[in-house]
Amino acid sequence: MAREKSSKDNAQALFHSLRSAYAATPVNLKIIDLYVGFAVFTALIQVVYMATVGSFPFNSFLSGVLSCVGTAVLAVCLRIQVNKEFKDLPPERAFADFVLCNLVLHLVIMNFLG
Amino acid sequence: MRKFWVIFVASISILLPFLCNSFSPEIPTDRRVLVLLDDLAIKSSHSSYFNSLKSRGFDLDFKLADDPKIALQRYGQYLYDALILFCPSVERFGGSIDVASIINFVDSGHDLIVAADVNASDLIREVATECGVDFDEDPSAMVIDHIRYAVSETEGDHTLIASDDLIKSDVILGSKKITAPVLFQGIGHSLNPVNSLVLKVLSTSPSAYSANPKSKLSTPPSLMGSEISLVSVVQARNNARILISGSLSMISNRFFRSGVQKAGSTTKHEKSGNEQFFTELSKWVFHERGHLKAVNVKHHKVGETDEPALYRINDELVYSLEIYEWSGSSWEPYVADNVQVQFYMMSPYVLKTLSNDKKGLYSTSFKVPDVYGVFQFKVEYQKLGYTSLSLAKQIPVRPYRHNEYERFIPTAYPYYGAAFSTMAGFFIFSFVHLYNK
Repeated sequence: MAREKSSKDNAQALFHSLRSAYAATPVNLKIIDLYVGFAVFTALIQVVYMATVGSFPFNSFLSGVLSCVGTAVLAVCLRIQVNKEFKDLPPERAFADFVLCNLVLHLVIMNFLG
Repeated sequence: MRKFWVIFVASISILLPFLCNSFSPEIPTDRRVLVLLDDLAIKSSHSSYFNSLKSRGFDLDFKLADDPKIALQRYGQYLYDALILFCPSVERFGGSIDVASIINFVDSGHDLIVAADVNASDLIREVATECGVDFDEDPSAMVIDHIRYAVSETEGDHTLIASDDLIKSDVILGSKKITAPVLFQGIGHSLNPVNSLVLKVLSTSPSAYSANPKSKLSTPPSLMGSEISLVSVVQARNNARILISGSLSMISNRFFRSGVQKAGSTTKHEKSGNEQFFTELSKWVFHERGHLKAVNVKHHKVGETDEPALYRINDELVYSLEIYEWSGSSWEPYVADNVQVQFYMMSPYVLKTLSNDKKGLYSTSFKVPDVYGVFQFKVEYQKLGYTSLSLAKQIPVRPYRHNEYERFIPTAYPYYGAAFSTMAGFFIFSFVHLYNK
């Protein structure tokens, strides 16, 4: 009985500590997290749509999902490199990489969309 | 001398068109007919029939069947357009005519009338068998009917039959109904039921049978009732027409003029139906009636006039053709509502009835099916008594070219939206990220 209570307490304590730690992150990182969430959400909508309607223009489906997944991946990379504890690259260089990679990604997406 | 040559050449060129008055696709009615007889008395005893043929413009050439100088063709060209065999007891034809040459004559599209009678020779039976009609094997058998015979003072053995079982076809027997029964005295024949080209024109009642009238019946007769046909016609696949009759005497003047009274009925007809029957039937056999031609087969896309070399799937197209019927002297438009066209590749993908404008032009429009390949426009028209039309025109059908598909697919709009929204999101985010303090 004590152990149950303690595991529940542990879970709650863990959750609270995560929330407070997250509240302490800088605002620009939170903005990147929001952006990642938006991309994943768009990808989920497309997968649900394909599950209902069928995969007829499969290339369009892949292109749409890939644009969301690619955006999410590039945004995560940017978040890692912009963090104050990351010392290998200056954040301006990270942002420039992010922009160029996104350009290439969207070029590919537009071609594959049909 | 020069004047003589000018006159000579001018007269030849004027007379030349008149020399070409034989059977041709433009004028399907036969012109020159060879009539082979057993003996020349038939020429006078059947003169009524021959005169009716002559008055319709036929060129009759009477010869004895064993005349050594008769020939159907010379140097590869046929001398006659039709053949009438009124020689039931001939054993061997004279000249260059034999069963094979008669069959070749029919195979090349010419018409034939064969009349057998009691004691018909094996030769005539062989000609009839080649045409699809089997006479009774007993050489002295005649058709006897003890219930539907014709009342007469002289013949008491009921071999003279009065029959009104005629085929129901206005094309073959004419539009005017034959009211009097048709007299018949001769041998009967049977038709193979599988054969779809041969038709019974005059048949007997179920009480008729084929047997020797002079001897007692010891075994059941081989031909009975509805198997027996008295007069049959065959329309071959090349549209040659053959008439086979089991009695030569039914075409004679005597039978044409005699009155007829069926046994058991009180109506006495003044004139038998034989003359009308044979006159109308010979009009059909010699292609004066019921001969169709189909010309001007055209197809094009809706809205255009020229014929494309190939179609694309899901095209709208129009198919048209003209059908004319020979009326004996000119081509009249043929009016019917059951001519169909098939768009065929191994099986008909489209089957449509053509609508006509009452002037012989049949047309319809339909959409090419969603299958590509090599198709045929097929018209297969077979109606009782009319020539069969069998037309086929090949046309390829191609699939869409890569730029003929729809540009934007409606089902993919969410994917288009997602891709553009991520682009817009990236743009807005980069501004926010850069100008965020």
